Amino acid sequence: MSHEEAQRKPQRIEIDQEELEATMRREREELERTWARPTGLRGWFTDTDHKSIAKRYIVTAFVFFIFGGIEAALMRIQLMRPDSHFLSPDQYNQIFTVHGTTMMFLFAVPIMTAMGIYFVPLMVGARDVAFPRVNLYGYFVYLIGGILLYTGFLLNTGPDAGWFAYVPLSGPAYSPGKRVDIWAQMITFTEISALAGAVVVIGTAFKMRAPGMTLNRLPLFVWAQVVTSFMIIFAMPSVMLASGFLASDRLIDTHFFNPAEGGDAILYQHLFWFFGHPEVYIIFIPALGFISPIIVTFARRKLFGYVALVLSLISTGFIGFGLWVHHMFATPIPQMGQSLFTAASMMIAIPSGVQIFCWIATLWGGKLNIKTPLLFVLGFFAIFILGGLTGVMLASVPLDLQIHDTFFVVAHLHYVLIGGSVFPLFGAFYYWFPKWTGRMLSERAGRWNFWLMFIGFNLVFFPMHQLGLNGMPRRVYTYLPETGWGTLNMIASLGAFILAGGVLVFVINVIWARYAGAVAGDNPWAADSLEWATTSPPPNYNFHNLPVVQGRYPIWQATADAPVVRGLSTTKRETLVTSVMDAQPELRFDIPGPSIWPSLVALSTAVMFIAGIFTPWAILIGAILAGIALTCWFFGDPNYENKTARETGERSEHVGPAPELRPKEV
Amino acid sequence: MSTQVVIDVSELPHHEFDTYDPVWWGNNLLLTIETSMFGILIATYFYLRQNFPEWPPPVAQLTATLKPLPQLGYGTANTILLLVSCIPMVLTDISARRGNRGVSQIGLVVGVMCALGALVLRGFEFSAMYFRWDSNAYGSVVWFMLGMHMMHLAILTVEAILLAVWIFTREYDMKHRVDIVTIAIYWYWVTAIWLVLYAIIYFTPRLG
Amino acid sequence: MIETRNTTLKICAALSFVLCCTSCGGIHNALNPTGPQAQNLSRLWWLFFIVCSVVFVLVMIALLLSLRNRTGEPQVATAPVIEPPAEQERKRRNVVISAVTITVIILFVFLIASYSAGRSMTAELEHKNGLNIELTGHQWWWEVRYDDVDASNIFTTANEIHIPVGVPVTFSLKAADVIHSFWVPNLAGKKDLIPGKINTIWLQADKPGVYRGQCAEYCGLQHARMALWIVAEPQEQFNAWRQNQTQTSVTPASDSQKRGQQVFLTSTCVMCHAINGTPAGSNIGPNLTHVASRNMIAAATVVNTREHLAQWIIDSQQYKPGNKMPQNNLSDADLQSLVEYLQSLK
Repeated sequence: MSHEEAQRKPQRIEIDQEELEATMRREREELERTWARPTGLRGWFTDTDHKSIAKRYIVTAFVFFIFGGIEAALMRIQLMRPDSHFLSPDQYNQIFTVHGTTMMFLFAVPIMTAMGIYFVPLMVGARDVAFPRVNLYGYFVYLIGGILLYTGFLLNTGPDAGWFAYVPLSGPAYSPGKRVDIWAQMITFTEISALAGAVVVIGTAFKMRAPGMTLNRLPLFVWAQVVTSFMIIFAMPSVMLASGFLASDRLIDTHFFNPAEGGDAILYQHLFWFFGHPEVYIIFIPALGFISPIIVTFARRKLFGYVALVLSLISTGFIGFGLWVHHMFATPIPQMGQSLFTAASMMIAIPSGVQIFCWIATLWGGKLNIKTPLLFVLGFFAIFILGGLTGVMLASVPLDLQIHDTFFVVAHLHYVLIGGSVFPLFGAFYYWFPKWTGRMLSERAGRWNFWLMFIGFNLVFFPMHQLGLNGMPRRVYTYLPETGWGTLNMIASLGAFILAGGVLVFVINVIWARYAGAVAGDNPWAADSLEWATTSPPPNYNFHNLPVVQGRYPIWQATADAPVVRGLSTTKRETLVTSVMDAQPELRFDIPGPSIWPSLVALSTAVMFIAGIFTPWAILIGAILAGIALTCWFFGDPNYENKTARETGERSEHVGPAPELRPKEV
Repeated sequence: MSTQVVIDVSELPHHEFDTYDPVWWGNNLLLTIETSMFGILIATYFYLRQNFPEWPPPVAQLTATLKPLPQLGYGTANTILLLVSCIPMVLTDISARRGNRGVSQIGLVVGVMCALGALVLRGFEFSAMYFRWDSNAYGSVVWFMLGMHMMHLAILTVEAILLAVWIFTREYDMKHRVDIVTIAIYWYWVTAIWLVLYAIIYFTPRLG
Repeated sequence: MIETRNTTLKICAALSFVLCCTSCGGIHNALNPTGPQAQNLSRLWWLFFIVCSVVFVLVMIALLLSLRNRTGEPQVATAPVIEPPAEQERKRRNVVISAVTITVIILFVFLIASYSAGRSMTAELEHKNGLNIELTGHQWWWEVRYDDVDASNIFTTANEIHIPVGVPVTFSLKAADVIHSFWVPNLAGKKDLIPGKINTIWLQADKPGVYRGQCAEYCGLQHARMALWIVAEPQEQFNAWRQNQTQTSVTPASDSQKRGQQVFLTSTCVMCHAINGTPAGSNIGPNLTHVASRNMIAAATVVNTREHLAQWIIDSQQYKPGNKMPQNNLSDADLQSLVEYLQSLK
């Protein structure tokens, strides 16, 4: 056959068993050396392994989640009673702003990106992501952005204009000082980080799939990450402009939002919400990608309605861009225009509904062993659906005019975000923790975790629906006793402590399980997707031989003579690049190895934007520094043979027998 | 003896042009991001225009022209220069695909000269505007549009210089030939976006 | 486990029912409508609420039923099914398609209900023959200006709005500094006050009463204490009130009041506050011409009593930390007479 055909057609080769084992042993040794990760402090700045970067993202984002939770707890203590003096108005205003900003920008988006960065290469059968050094750059930019925000906050210059910082309140006239500038620049950091992650995920998902994984066989997790990444690409530029215009209005006296010179306060709202609405879907859609694999694994059957589910994800992504004006129904935008957004905002419930029904159809009648991951998914159903229904209420222009900007909206957004993203995320933690660490989390603690969170959450947020209808607006640091809002607020605050207890149980569970959890093995859940076809945790190089996929459920559908990919180098970092539609092998792609340049470029980006808060010249200086670092990145050795870590680097944590794709039995 | 079923990929190349290479995807995704940004910026331009009965707004000076339309000179010269610069770029693109090192080298050098010229002309374009960025919303948005594009011109120039240095001093290998083709795409994009911005900044106010 | 879940759900349902009932009445409540706008919205709310609740309960039942075939066996023991029987899949497809169809129909009904509610909300704006009020939002108080074709009927007050029962009132909404939002839940939905723009809303009170509203768009430090009152009264009472408000300020009668007026005119008060009939004409702060006729001060934060007024004048930061009124160092005697004067301005 022609050598092109040889790339595509599996061949049967006869090989002596002992020779096979010797070859595998030698290759494993070489792969370990080639893919060794640099250690220590140096390793922290140079390690480009996608799993290591993803774990850092997850831990960092979880730390920010805890910070955001502490801020929420402080707010709930303040609002527990009318006329409370626990927090001053200025403290409260900073805290609610930083709470929202932290949760949306420093926790939710990065952690979803992180899950993608960890699992997309594994699920598509690749050794690493498409652009590992860009990946590392993205992490550092995110970290610096978060540090910027919290440094400001702890120095009492935290932003205090709300997480969406409407002008003119956030403009130069009404928010003097550097508070809002810190917010605007932090946006820049997290937005660059998200964009980097999006490019990396799409590049990997499109071009680095194992042979046989046609688009029709792409796991729903990966579909969700791809849709999310495209949404990031189209939405982030809008917030870049919104925060950029705001920063320049504040720092160099432009007039984008100054009505006296032709600027427009509503322009800011358009720019922000054109990003802001897709943002919540950017947070929500990856969580939908967690639910499908968990349901498939626990229902022990193929997904009902794969095509419908994929189309729902894609249409949610599209329609999500057509809703933004529903945040602006109280502005003088003409009624007719607003009604179109009502229609779109209601329409988006349809793909969500399709997914819910398909998942229930998958679960129906199955022999379900309800372990913690599935429990959290069930919690998602209860909470998210309620939130989605209040969303349909908010979609109606007239109805929205009563409940907009009240605690009803606070209830809604937490129901959809916590129900729709955080519960699936916790389910994902329980589901994939064994893969990350090789150990199982405690089931008992998991149940306590779930019920405390579920009950606590509902106690906090359900009364808020009523509070909104009772006239309580958002973002108030206190309220008069005569309003009668005290009782429901007290209930909500007590619930907050129960919710916090649930999160605490989770943290304890993780710490305990890391050292004392049951050993997991490769595939503790007897699941179907490729990440379970390698050790727990995976070796640095993910798979010894890249698998060839024979169906949507690779492990379940693998035949006894499932092919593997041979021919990739073990002395240079290489993975297979395949075609977008049909995953036909195309290239042996060189993967760059550990490097210091991404962190240095991130640092010069930081100089550019942080110092830029104080003087416009910093942009120029930072650009020059970034230019130098980028030049070194370009001219430097890409380190395919991993010279820096070959001898002293960290080998894989788990190196079992050469893992192959094993059909049927686990 | 045991049987292994394999797909042997050892003969595959390391790099290829266009959609084969992940670098093509990375580059085009970045360009998509920037295109979205310019699209929204253009929408902002027209949105702000609604706030002005006259666009551009009259200059508040007795002796100034009544309708301070942006002067066409520098902008048009820049447009022509950018379009012309695409020619050496196309030649560089083709030569990289064919493996012709000499043409690639010359093409990149000529391209860099044009880009530097365009940057200089852009500086003059700013000064030819009747308004500063802090005069009014019109000035703010027009300076932002010119500035954002200038940022891309600058990045393009620096990238072209780096690539030119490489292919003069180091291997003219497949990886860097793919890079040349990639930068050519970036070049066409910078020019195309400029054509749109040029039409909007210089001509839409003249359409009444 | 199902039993515990069912019990939990029942508790949740009961709790929510109780919660809903506890605060259904009262001022400040969107579900206690006292005007046509709010009534319209309240009806729309109940339609949405009932339908959505039914949908929620049905989906939850379906979800719980799907769990009925539970097992305690480990994952590996159950072989996964890649090819379920076609008959079973067909049945499921039909159910899913029906569910989606019902969803679409419900959404369509919602859309139409919403659209017609919206139409009737703005319909009245065409008729501007009722009362016209211009409301300007400031950080953190409401400037209220009653408009009229007859210039002598125009007057400005603050934070307390009187309207006649049964008459549509059109509000033009403006903002002096940042974005605010005008919201009186018993009467209507909210509309934003945006600098550089004019927004319009109409509302009508069908029953006499006092309705509280609060600023509903975060506007800075004291957003939480920017409330207002709408007092709806019968036409004659309203006319009398209006008549009074158009008068110039009461001339101080007693010595103490005269002294108080002097204190007012010679302190920093005049930098921000206007009292018609005196040289004080600044409109940076609320107009005090008829301040004593208002029930509350500081944008409906505290009741308008001598003590509160005195405390407010000396150190308003106690009530609204961060608000723009400076502290005032006045002697006791000056303060007393000032308060007496202000309390005479009915």
